[in-house]
Amino acid sequence: MGLLAIGTPLEWPEAKQVASHVREWGVEQLLAIWRRAKGKERDALLWGDEIEYLVVCYDDQHRKVRLSLRQADILAALANDEKLLEEGGGVPDVKRGPAKTRKGPCAPVFHPEFGRFMLEATPGKPWGIGFKDLLGVEPDMKLRRVIAKEHMAETEYPITMTTFPRLGCSDCTMPSYPASGPKLRSQFLPDEIANPHIRFPTLAANIRARRGRKVEVNVPIFKDEKTPWPFSDPTVNYDLHNWPEDDDVRNGAVKPNYIYMDAMAFGMGSCCLQITFQAKNIDEGRKMYDQLSPIGPIMLALTAATPIYKGFLADTDVRWNQISRAVDDRTREELGEAPLKNDRWRIPKSRYAANSTYISQDPRLRPEYLDPDLVVDEDLKAKLVAGGMDDVLATHFAHLFIRDPIVVFNEDLKELDLDKTDHFENLQSTNWQHMRFKPPPPGNDTGWRVEFRPMEIQITDFENAAFAIFIVLITRAILSFDLNFYVPIPKTTENMETAHRRDAVLNDKFWFRKNPFSQKTHGETSTPNSSPPTPLGPVEDEFEEMTIAEVINGQSKDDGFPGLIPLVESYLNSVNIDIETRCELARYLDLIRKRADGTLWTGARWMREFVRSHKEYKMDSVVGEDISYDLVTMVEDITKREGKDGKGEQMFGKRR
Amino acid sequence: MKLVLSTSNIMTSHPSISHRPLTEKSNTELTGSLRNNITSAQEAAKSSSQTTKSASPKAPWIAETTSTLSIPCPSLSRSGPLQEPRSAYDITVKLFFLPSIPSSRRCEHTREALDLVLKELGVDSIDLLITSFPGISFDAEDDSDSDLSDLSQPSSPTHNTFDSVSAGVDGCGDSVVQPESIDSLLTTYATLESLVDSGLIHTLGLAEFGTSRLQKFLPKTRIPPTVDQINVRDCCVVPRPLIQYAKAQGLELLTHNDCTDILPRGTLRDLLGPKEGKGVGVLAGTGEKEDGELGLRGDVEPQFVVKYTAVVRDRGVVENKGYFAVAELNEE
Repeated sequence: MGLLAIGTPLEWPEAKQVASHVREWGVEQLLAIWRRAKGKERDALLWGDEIEYLVVCYDDQHRKVRLSLRQADILAALANDEKLLEEGGGVPDVKRGPAKTRKGPCAPVFHPEFGRFMLEATPGKPWGIGFKDLLGVEPDMKLRRVIAKEHMAETEYPITMTTFPRLGCSDCTMPSYPASGPKLRSQFLPDEIANPHIRFPTLAANIRARRGRKVEVNVPIFKDEKTPWPFSDPTVNYDLHNWPEDDDVRNGAVKPNYIYMDAMAFGMGSCCLQITFQAKNIDEGRKMYDQLSPIGPIMLALTAATPIYKGFLADTDVRWNQISRAVDDRTREELGEAPLKNDRWRIPKSRYAANSTYISQDPRLRPEYLDPDLVVDEDLKAKLVAGGMDDVLATHFAHLFIRDPIVVFNEDLKELDLDKTDHFENLQSTNWQHMRFKPPPPGNDTGWRVEFRPMEIQITDFENAAFAIFIVLITRAILSFDLNFYVPIPKTTENMETAHRRDAVLNDKFWFRKNPFSQKTHGETSTPNSSPPTPLGPVEDEFEEMTIAEVINGQSKDDGFPGLIPLVESYLNSVNIDIETRCELARYLDLIRKRADGTLWTGARWMREFVRSHKEYKMDSVVGEDISYDLVTMVEDITKREGKDGKGEQMFGKRR
Repeated sequence: MKLVLSTSNIMTSHPSISHRPLTEKSNTELTGSLRNNITSAQEAAKSSSQTTKSASPKAPWIAETTSTLSIPCPSLSRSGPLQEPRSAYDITVKLFFLPSIPSSRRCEHTREALDLVLKELGVDSIDLLITSFPGISFDAEDDSDSDLSDLSQPSSPTHNTFDSVSAGVDGCGDSVVQPESIDSLLTTYATLESLVDSGLIHTLGLAEFGTSRLQKFLPKTRIPPTVDQINVRDCCVVPRPLIQYAKAQGLELLTHNDCTDILPRGTLRDLLGPKEGKGVGVLAGTGEKEDGELGLRGDVEPQFVVKYTAVVRDRGVVENKGYFAVAELNEE
């Protein structure tokens, strides 16, 4: 999110009144991009990773760990670091060094995030596919953490856990602020938990206002030996009367056997590992978007790292649905809880959800794969089509544009600037689907890009590099072998749910396509229309349920799914690759192979077991301050030693 | 009669994905994709009513010229030209000289191999030619090359050892053939250098050379190789002297997993054999010729194998990869 735009944000319902206006200008800007960039060709593979950190603050004397809310100070320190700027790094929203003119290494850059306890870091300039480039990723990630730490206080440390174990418990921030502020109206979190830039509190407040109540983030509690059952969240205050929304808990927002959370920060305060790729042209981008989509839930389950919420062990392993609920701005009518009166349609998914469209013009895309529940703004779609956009892509954007813009600045509504993309981005960037298709921004040479968003951040940079590079290699295998991973979109949606289950990586099965290879017959490439197309069998015969191990490592049966790692290895065997690089890649692939087959544990499993074997744990699902302190301390330790001293060995195996 | 066997583009038509650790040497990619390409051409020819112009009267799925049978017929399998301008690609060719073929034939075989690849890809030069010599096998545990002898020629009948190895079985029996002398290697290499001079090849590479062989070989080259491809099962046991020597010489150490003797005679005979023996029906069996079989009689002798890959440099996409295998059929 760009932060430099500043002005007077409209409150709800004023923002609602200009929603159509913003959408229409957004469509005009999108068409301007389309006209300008649809023919953009031959862009190189460039890619970037984003690492998000929680900044924790230790109080060793009292064995406490809290979230540090000094994001602004830390970013200011980074933006004023002359050496960092000189090397091309910095904080783009404030100040950064000359990245484009640099040959050779470029220092990393840092960004604010929604949570005031968060920090994001990206490479100073994008990576390429030169295999030696790939070797630079892990050291760069480590360097980012070192630089971040250098600009923090002695007691602060950047950790890469998806969520802070005791976010929303009393005394969880430094400094401490009272909960129940006017923006979030959360009974657990203060407004100060969010980045103070006006965009963020407005986003939270307008989502709440549009929804007509606070967000409800309910996570099933992990039932341990002594967990009271039925479990009723003991931290909920039913007697709060500061805001109208305090009635939510009295009106059934809290569910038995669930941990209850009530603010955007519980979701948007999660850290993710996101990878963005530049495609050669729009067609390749659309193909990558489609082909990576079914892999999303697999990677979510495989990177599972979120077993704790608000001081309790959860019965799920990943963050996804919590973020989805934390920004769910749908009204009761849109949710189907009330008859449609004021709203235009029922909407099956949150703005943050598994994606609902395929966008490629690939002949292998069968109509049966498309989401039958897709909601589309037909008027806007007609405008896009009239503007020259093809039906498939117009459908995608007209689907994203069913949402209202949440944060609208009054100043931006005066004049439509077709050289800008602010109105388009307003909607595009608040549709948080697991894949994002990004058009070229105006004013520079960047091409069409695809963002892969489902992965959870990992404790160590070794793991983060491994997963980032794995996805890069999968895209290369997809393009080289012309792989076909299409399954019907509802199956991917279902897989995203499955990925939440505790130890889904070990116990659950996911819908996946059996044969990823295209059925090409001889001579077809030279004379595509000479023979009638082979009739296709039923869609249901194309996919089956597979374990994560089968998807990643392959099925053992004849003609079974070959496995993503064998596909990647086969790709690697087709390119010239030096021994040192192949060695490093082998370490990464080995980690992923063993995470998939259960030899090594996911972060979620390790954290859960850490809590359960802690001497202070009472087998009642409660993650107390002592446990939290030891867990975060241990996590920090593991980021430094990566299991080489035996700590966290279950996640890494024996390492040199 | 010469047989030119081809796989067409194996990236998009017949990828062969192995579950075994892919650092292990194998020739199943070659044998599997040859088999796939030939059988699908046979099916394509069967289902298509009109025969193509170049098709042989012997069978619609092969092409025939005076002394050469192309199997399958290129018009049934050739992939289109490269999609990007030539400069966007790294084109690597690996040429496998086979044991028991006299090194005097190599000059001719190299030209022939390059012609096949250049025509297939529609280009007029390649970036890197890696040469695989018979009998040379890098061994990470023992890089002493102590067994390097000065035999001027490998003894020819060793191929019989491989007769039991049938197509589709993994693994290679690489170590049986004696490596040839440095002088003999240099003679072949000089041929390759002249192809660099003529602009057909940009750079040269070797396969499976250990330190001591490199030390003897490199000083005598006119155009030093830029690449040495080695197979290491465990990446972490590359001998330090090799790494240091390669670095000092500006030689890049690349990985590969190809068998050195990539197409033993027995493997090829089984592959081409009658359909009842799981072959593709190019060669006759002892029984009746089945429908759709070519049923040639005689002894096949593989001459050389060439592998090519075209990679879009700045995107890391392998757009085309395939093999040609050329054999002599000594008809009975």
